[in-house]
Amino acid sequence: MSRIDQHPILTVPSDRKLVRFTFNDIELEGYEGEPVSSSLIAQDYKEFAIHQRGDTPQGLFCANGQCSHCTLIIDGLPQKSCVTPLKAGMQIRTLRHIAEIPEDNRPLSRHSKKEMTCDVLVIGGGPSGLTAALELAKLNFKVFLVDDKEKLGGKLLLQTHKFFGSIEDCYAGTRGIEIAQKLESELRSCANVQIFTNTTVVAVYKDQKVGLFINNRNYATVAFRGLIVAPGAREKSLIFNGNHLPGVFGAGAFQTLVNRDLVKASQRVFIVGSGNVGLIAAYHALQAGITVVGICDILEKVSGYKVHADKIQRMGVPLYLKHTVIATEGHNKVERVTIAAVDDNFQPLLETAQTFLVDTLLIAVGLTPVDEFFEMANKFGFTVVKAGDADEIAEASSAMFGGRIAARRLANLLGKAVTIDPSFTQKAEILKSRPGRIFPPAPVSLDENFQPIIRCHEEIPCNPCTSVCPVNAIQLRGDRNDLMDLPFYRGGCTGCMQCVLICPGLAITLARKIDEHFAEVVLPHEFLPTFNVGKSLALTDLSGNFLEDGEILKIRYIKKFKTHLVHVKTTLKNASQVAGIRVQPATDSQPLPQAKFEYLPDNGIVCHCELVTVKEIRDFIREHNIRDINQLKLIRVGMGACGGKNCSTLLPRIFREAGIDINTIAPGTKRPLSVEIPMSAIANEESEV
Amino acid sequence: MKTYDVAIIGAGSIGTPLSFYLAQRGLQVVVLEELASIGRGQNRSAIGGIRATHSDPAKATICQRTIEIIKRMKIEHGFDVDWIAGGYLYPVYDDKNEDIFKKLIQFQRSLGLNIDWIGSTEIQQLAPGINPENLRGGSYSPEDGSASPLKVVDAYYQLARQRGVEFRFQEPVTGFKLDKAKIIKVVTSKSNYSCHWIINAAGASARQVGSLLSLDLPVFPDCHEGGITEPVRRFFEPMVVDVRPDSESSNYYFYQNIEGQVVFCITPEPKIVGTDCDNTSAFLPLVTKRMLGLYPRLRHLRVRRTWRGLYPMTPDGFPIVGFTPEITNLFLAVGMCGQGFMIGPGLGDIVAEILTNKDHQFHEILNQLSLYRNFSGQELLK
Repeated sequence: MSRIDQHPILTVPSDRKLVRFTFNDIELEGYEGEPVSSSLIAQDYKEFAIHQRGDTPQGLFCANGQCSHCTLIIDGLPQKSCVTPLKAGMQIRTLRHIAEIPEDNRPLSRHSKKEMTCDVLVIGGGPSGLTAALELAKLNFKVFLVDDKEKLGGKLLLQTHKFFGSIEDCYAGTRGIEIAQKLESELRSCANVQIFTNTTVVAVYKDQKVGLFINNRNYATVAFRGLIVAPGAREKSLIFNGNHLPGVFGAGAFQTLVNRDLVKASQRVFIVGSGNVGLIAAYHALQAGITVVGICDILEKVSGYKVHADKIQRMGVPLYLKHTVIATEGHNKVERVTIAAVDDNFQPLLETAQTFLVDTLLIAVGLTPVDEFFEMANKFGFTVVKAGDADEIAEASSAMFGGRIAARRLANLLGKAVTIDPSFTQKAEILKSRPGRIFPPAPVSLDENFQPIIRCHEEIPCNPCTSVCPVNAIQLRGDRNDLMDLPFYRGGCTGCMQCVLICPGLAITLARKIDEHFAEVVLPHEFLPTFNVGKSLALTDLSGNFLEDGEILKIRYIKKFKTHLVHVKTTLKNASQVAGIRVQPATDSQPLPQAKFEYLPDNGIVCHCELVTVKEIRDFIREHNIRDINQLKLIRVGMGACGGKNCSTLLPRIFREAGIDINTIAPGTKRPLSVEIPMSAIANEESEV
Repeated sequence: MKTYDVAIIGAGSIGTPLSFYLAQRGLQVVVLEELASIGRGQNRSAIGGIRATHSDPAKATICQRTIEIIKRMKIEHGFDVDWIAGGYLYPVYDDKNEDIFKKLIQFQRSLGLNIDWIGSTEIQQLAPGINPENLRGGSYSPEDGSASPLKVVDAYYQLARQRGVEFRFQEPVTGFKLDKAKIIKVVTSKSNYSCHWIINAAGASARQVGSLLSLDLPVFPDCHEGGITEPVRRFFEPMVVDVRPDSESSNYYFYQNIEGQVVFCITPEPKIVGTDCDNTSAFLPLVTKRMLGLYPRLRHLRVRRTWRGLYPMTPDGFPIVGFTPEITNLFLAVGMCGQGFMIGPGLGDIVAEILTNKDHQFHEILNQLSLYRNFSGQELLK
């Protein structure tokens, strides 16, 4: 079993009930109520379906109900296993090609049509949807909040790390999972808010109604006056040979498995994409005891926050910049990944290829807004505002602000005169900022008293270290006079360690001189300690270079922050450089002595629903005088379960490769439904809503 | 100004096959289409049924020809258009309809159509799991079937281009220049064309095109919604049509395409007149309860996509095909009443014959589908 039994941050519940089920007639056990996909992956079953094109194996990809790669035959019916809760006695089978529906001839016993009405419907219970709903509730609107998951919080539920931003505005220094709880309990206390969890919006209709698929078995429509669209983002895909293999996950899917379902989804993982999502996924993997073999990015600079990248490197994860994935290979699942450096035109240099033995590749190459509900509502002329990632891909901290602003804008549009504090917009904008300039570290000279050493050298919107210091010893520099300014230590440290504990980047240590040769350094450690006082630890500098082994003087666990403070004795000359503890030995991330791969870039899959390769699409575009994305339906692109939601972002590049400017091509038509729903649910045959 | 033998207005279910059949007979053809590619008007909304078993000789003749063509599309032209000879099945659950259908079958057989009354047992073999309670039997026409509208229109597009037909997309016709009763110039948003014949095959826009010539064409679109499920292994063969009305709809029909997806469509009652192709909340609950009532086994199918399309209706439910005395070089192929897909190939071949062969044998069709007929008749069964 690959389960996470203990975790430095997450509490492993003790009240889960084990139930028995079968997979292809093999008796297995899993936790009742967890997604079927998680039960199977926890037992190393990753091959879920065999696609009729080439008998190709398919596995989980999004873990988010958005694609359909995880479809299995569950109790005789094809169902997306990532959104089907496990029940005792379930009979689960591999989906081979297409399903056979059961000979169920019971006459239709009942049917009903459920219609509801609200003032404002909020689509999405993530950071922006929750804050928008709260704001609207305070303004006395009758609010429905709809979310497709069991628990509210959206991606906050996967965020075991502390948030960036500012404490007063967006809970900086608090972990995402805790923010979700706070927002949810606040929302649940509002009498004028009705919450629908496990509920997916399947369509926005012209007659100003939204269609809801509730609890996998009911259907209802909701009429509304105003709409907040905050369903978040979907993960971008990447084209390379083997990108369809079970074991290639979206980074979000991986975080869902690991942090929500406590499944150790992998032993060894490689990550493509050095944005914050990829970097955080690496950190989450390490916290779950999974080896992170490396992170690559096709750009020459880390895309995410430098403090995140530094942290990951200090733990012992190599970063390969100007590198891309050229293949994942293996027998019916990922067994190895090959990366190569790229030239200035982003073409791989095959002679630089390196192959790593892994069982998982995470794709973290960016997000695209889920904005089709907004586009539809807007086209129909409804009163609608979008928020969060559906509006613009940014940090959750900014999304929480964006939700409040969206709510007040919508209130105005609905005729309720409310003001929008201009500082809200400014703050939301700042929290969205891409990282700014990087400054060289300032020299530090140690004395007998503790002082913070702040390794926050890149401008990012974050300041909790300045807020928690009881003596205001840390302040922002004032270069820009906003949240992006770098913090600096101006003297007077009392050694309270609050800054060390609160820093989301784990970028602050405290250090003091012991004598002329040695110093004491205090490091934050968000892992289960595998060491004791008196032992020595491999200490690294800012970006992961080994400095020295240091003796552990003291370990303190600070429950409020779920963080260990590790006091180590170091040499005085290195003390101000010591920034982290290596948790993963260098031997864990070595490539094979010789690269082993086939370079078949044309085999990369673009349309995963219908398994259409990049070459097939490119050739078709060239040979068929394509003027309209809809024409690709002839080769079934966009005809699958997802309706082109996942492949559409890849198409501009392919048109470019075929020598056609995508702007001269008519766009594809997006139609309901957003997810497939059974006819029995539409008829509400099984039960009333 | 460019000169062609024929300009066809509309690259849809009608115009695209017609362009091929004209080019095949040696004519220079240009097709003028306001949308971005072929079939983006109503062809994209057609569900794919093709039947010859109409209740009038004109459509029966045209669609018999369609079936002959579509059947041979692969052998003759190398295009697999997903033809399935699944038949059309009208299950009947009451005396009144039993009577109507039995009479209709008599008439259809007199037109030479292969259709018969079959019993309940046979129906349950064709559509296993269909509601057997009070099932009297039904009419069944085994030679009818279905094909992919997308693939058919594309096959014709490719065939037409191979024969030199020129397609002009995103180029709406904005006007005509007349000399007495003859069009001497077709004006589009981008260019002008001089053509011997101009064919209005503009589907749901046919009336607007007519109005550019001060010609009042009685073609009034109404809206129908359709849907498609996930693919599952084939479990029933025919197109199933249930003609019993309920309070919100008249007939509905569905079949399983070659991928295994069930494609369905319903006729709302009262009609929704207009050209609004946006989805409404009414469709799914309406069609689902009726389909599950008739065929409970469908309950486990997941609906993948829905859409709305237009039936360019005429007052009597029959197409308008032929020349007009007002404008001597204008030919009409409009008002297909939601059957453009099944009419298109056969009609294209026939119209090409009419235009190029003085001794053609289709006067009866032209009479029956004339713009100048008395539109007070009604189709027996749509």
